[in-house]
Amino acid sequence: MSRGRSEGRRWLDALLGNRKSMVGLAIVGAFVLMSLVGPSLVQDASAFVATPHQPPSAAHWFGTTGQGQDVFAQTVVGARLTLAVGFTCGFLVIGIGSVIGATAGYVGGRVDEGLSLLTNVFLVLPGLPLMVVVAAWLPAGPGTLLAVLTLTGWAWNARVLRAQTLSLRGKDFVAAAQVSGDGPLRIVMAEILPNMLSLMVSSFIGATVYAIGAQVGLEFLGLGDIGAVTWGTNLYWASNDSALLTGAWWTFVPTGACIALVGFGLTLINFAIDEIANPALQSETIWRKQLSVTPPPGAATPVEVGLA
Amino acid sequence: MTRILLVGALVAAILTPACAEPAMEPEPGVLVVSREQVGSWVRNFNPLLAGGLARWPTRGGIYEPLMVHNPAQGAWTPWLATGFTWGEDVTSLSFSLREGVRWSDGEAFTADDVVFTFDLMKKVPAFDTQGHWRYLRSVSAPDPQTVQFAFARPFVPGMEKIAHQVIVPRHVWESVEEPVSWTNPDPVATGPFTEVRRFDHQVWELGKNPNYWMDGAPKIEALRFPAIPSNEQATIALMHGEVDWAGNFIPAIDRIFAGRNPEHHRYWFPNFGGAIFLYPNHTVGPLKDARVRKALSRAIDRDKVVQVAMYDYTSPADVSGLSDGYAQWRDEAALTEDPWTDFDPAEAARLLDEAGLPLGEDGLRRGTDGQPVTLELSCITGWSDWVRAAQVIARNLQGVGLDVSVKSYDFGAWFDQLQRGEFALSIGWASYGPTPYGFWVGAMSSGSMFPIGEVAPQNWHRFSDPEADTLLAAFERTADPAEQERIAHALQARFQATAPLLPLFLDPSWGEANTTRFTGFPSAENPYSRLSPNHELEFLHVLTRIAPREPVVAEGN
Amino acid sequence: MGGTARYLLGRLGFYLLAAWVALSLNFLIPRMMPGDPATVMFARFQGQLSPEAMDALRETFGLSDASWWSQYWTYLRHALVGDFGTSVAYFPEPVTGVLLRGLFWTVVLAGSAVVVAFAAGTLLGTLAAWRRGGWLDSVLPPVLALLGAFPYFWLAMLALFVLGFGMGLFPLRHAYSDQLTPGLSPEFLASVFRHTLLPALTLVAVSLGGWMLAMRNTMIGVLGSDFIEYAHARGLAPRRVMLAYAARNAILPNVTGFGMALGFVLGGALLTEIIFSYPVQGYLLIQSVRAQDYPLMQGLFLTISLAVLAANWFVDCATVALDPRTRR
Repeated sequence: MSRGRSEGRRWLDALLGNRKSMVGLAIVGAFVLMSLVGPSLVQDASAFVATPHQPPSAAHWFGTTGQGQDVFAQTVVGARLTLAVGFTCGFLVIGIGSVIGATAGYVGGRVDEGLSLLTNVFLVLPGLPLMVVVAAWLPAGPGTLLAVLTLTGWAWNARVLRAQTLSLRGKDFVAAAQVSGDGPLRIVMAEILPNMLSLMVSSFIGATVYAIGAQVGLEFLGLGDIGAVTWGTNLYWASNDSALLTGAWWTFVPTGACIALVGFGLTLINFAIDEIANPALQSETIWRKQLSVTPPPGAATPVEVGLA
Repeated sequence: MTRILLVGALVAAILTPACAEPAMEPEPGVLVVSREQVGSWVRNFNPLLAGGLARWPTRGGIYEPLMVHNPAQGAWTPWLATGFTWGEDVTSLSFSLREGVRWSDGEAFTADDVVFTFDLMKKVPAFDTQGHWRYLRSVSAPDPQTVQFAFARPFVPGMEKIAHQVIVPRHVWESVEEPVSWTNPDPVATGPFTEVRRFDHQVWELGKNPNYWMDGAPKIEALRFPAIPSNEQATIALMHGEVDWAGNFIPAIDRIFAGRNPEHHRYWFPNFGGAIFLYPNHTVGPLKDARVRKALSRAIDRDKVVQVAMYDYTSPADVSGLSDGYAQWRDEAALTEDPWTDFDPAEAARLLDEAGLPLGEDGLRRGTDGQPVTLELSCITGWSDWVRAAQVIARNLQGVGLDVSVKSYDFGAWFDQLQRGEFALSIGWASYGPTPYGFWVGAMSSGSMFPIGEVAPQNWHRFSDPEADTLLAAFERTADPAEQERIAHALQARFQATAPLLPLFLDPSWGEANTTRFTGFPSAENPYSRLSPNHELEFLHVLTRIAPREPVVAEGN
Repeated sequence: MGGTARYLLGRLGFYLLAAWVALSLNFLIPRMMPGDPATVMFARFQGQLSPEAMDALRETFGLSDASWWSQYWTYLRHALVGDFGTSVAYFPEPVTGVLLRGLFWTVVLAGSAVVVAFAAGTLLGTLAAWRRGGWLDSVLPPVLALLGAFPYFWLAMLALFVLGFGMGLFPLRHAYSDQLTPGLSPEFLASVFRHTLLPALTLVAVSLGGWMLAMRNTMIGVLGSDFIEYAHARGLAPRRVMLAYAARNAILPNVTGFGMALGFVLGGALLTEIIFSYPVQGYLLIQSVRAQDYPLMQGLFLTISLAVLAANWFVDCATVALDPRTRR
């Protein structure tokens, strides 16, 4: 137990001392803050307040949409639902992935075979097509998107965490816990999971980036609730109003830039985690393995491959 | 490293000049049309298949009907038939056919072909998309230029259905074994364009009929159809002059299309079609009370709806629910009696008070059970104009104390709920035809009403009016124009009194043309038809009239 | 050798089981959606079709009232021989025909994009790791990460608008010029190349960073191993050490990813199609969902699932070939 906690603190210190992670944390932190307090500071994002498609001005910092809504307000308010769905999905994906992955890896045998089959079936099911079908079937909204993204996203992490559990299972501290009579549940919760914390954090970040990207993509296709204000629906409406053809770049660029910045910030944090993990040679073999099971790019970001 | 840079520079040098596509003008006389939005083309020219399964313009441009209705003129144009006469008791109808019409393979077109087409629809119910055999008893050909339709019951609206039926050649179709799954890859037809010159998944071309009956038509050589999957792409193609004729919605059209080339970039969005309505479910809570429905209607700011949802391309609908295309049927004088489509929140509040829905202290209206009135307004995910309209309407209704929330569903789910009557409020369209008969049947007839939970193709709001039933039955039995007009005015009065549906705005017809290479497109100044290619059969007028700007030099093939 | 064969056969058995589960899900999911194809198609005409047309449509599509069980068995039997029935949206074309059309261009576009991104990314990653701290190592990863963080469709729309529409450097739509007839003529091939370039480049742009970073990180790990130092000590040429020793050992995870990515290629470049009007499979999917075209949906799903499974098996084989330890 204490082992996991001190490990966590060491990681936190290292992260705070790393330039990349500081930049990343600052960017992500700023957006999270904006999504929390921003919506109460700006005007009603869905109110039709002004002449449509006006360029940025003092009254409307980012101009107005094709329907005369304030783009700045929409950008700020859109952050809330988008980030909420993104981070919640990240948590759910990691939660489900680690429980299934760690159980399969630690218990082994029939349980492992069953869970691995389940994992692999979800892995080979085409993610985006499944999303399109399920999103069409359930009533549109953030809840549906969350469910769909979690359903199609957890399997990768389960597989990665299972591999990691397999390598931890033979370690001395696990054997020690077994000898002292701890049950499997306690060993998984107290010994295995804390030792995979950094891998879980980096997987969480990866899953969040994936969730934000996939969510924006689905909403852009009109599969979300286009009545809600999110970054994805902002882009849907911009494209619906032919933003680029009418020259109204201001309805298109701010939201895209925000999405890119959040994704970039999160990726920087992951860079830092890799950097901290790799040169420190104390647990080198584990880390080398870990890196080799880090989701390979093409498949790791199904957003890109799938949505492309 | 330097080597990599060198290789990169080399690759870039090879690529750059290769990127720009050499600009290629389509051959003169070839009109490029963007009508269906698809990713790739499927070769299907079976005109009897229902609903858009065959390529545009199979119904109309390739296979022609007996007559063509033109809402812009409010008149019927004789086509394969030259006219029709009703028999006694309006239970028989005969059409006289045009002389000298030949199929594109040279065979003569006769009454036999018409009889065969109708008999085929009797044999193959999948083809009877108009329900002809619900009122017909038999079809016969007393002579090669006359077709006689015997009705099972008096049914005057049957004339519209018969006149709009496209006719197929007997000598080709009688040997087809499985007509429903037949794609008819090389059509033999009477229309202005019949020769498939090329069929590719990205683009296909339809050449003119060498044997076309109309003198001097068509004036263009061929139609070309590039596959364009999205509205945005269609707009780009139109702006670039790659498409000559299109029927898609374009936002801010004055700026991005018309303004770029005021002389040749034309558009015309007339309101001769149907209208869009707010459907109140008459079985839900207070909505069965006509006062409540009228109150809802009065609370809606239609000008705002049109501005926000429809880019000001159309105009608000009035209490008759009838568009500009029904001018001859509409009773203008009756429109001002109780104009419940005018925006008047105070009157709305008064009506709601009168109907027993008092305002609570929290600003919400209470129903008879003392609970706040909450209503869900359904619309379709991705139908952006409706979603916008629904948002404005919900805000308006909240303004008079009704707790209305917008909920969007996937198309299939939405339509399923609508048909089963499992909704409270929904945006929707209504039946549309040459006369408002179909609209009134869908809005007020007991014949179109089904119980909640059963699938109803129309009358989703579940309303029937005995007086309207009587009037509709009378309408089916008279071919006398004066009598028809009297009944129509009475039906309009019933609609206005009962407010079964709340008309929102008129449904504009999207049509754009680039007149750089072609002339003769319809316009507000020359309204011989609507400009849009989206209206089945009506576009025949355009196809036979447009002409290349320069006379086409005959190609030496 | 017997062990290897047994291992690979075992994996094959597992994939067959997974394929059956996927097949069954493909059957179930579309059927849980409300509505049926006839009503959906009828409704698309917004009142322009007479109410009678709905019955005609039902008749046309021959919608089955048979129980799900009997439908399921028919479906499985037909799926085994690659017969998915008739498409509804493209009635009366068989699903197989509809699928094959998009498939070719999907492979051309998405396939080449994945291959290019994998090759370039792996090479860049190798070089970056080899010259730790060089400009390639310090500048490129953040730049590519930023690029990859933009939503794909956003970059693609911007690229199409600025480079294609604004500057006229690239064709605006389609896989080849409409004026040409498909064939093996140099003209046609050049046209295909021109038309594929921009969509492919946008795909490469967003995925390059991932490949590069994965390769770089693994390679750095490998470079710290004893055998690399030993190789240096033996006086081998640096390039030989880099490619034959370090990169060869570091490439395994990327190969796994490559296989997976290739499998997912058939999922189609959905947004690419919508933005560039490139005739790939992706759009079919959206269309089949909107039209509730079960047969087409099932065909699409199955093709994609099988491609992913095949890619997985290929990866297993490649892993065995590259890393003999897995055989034990």
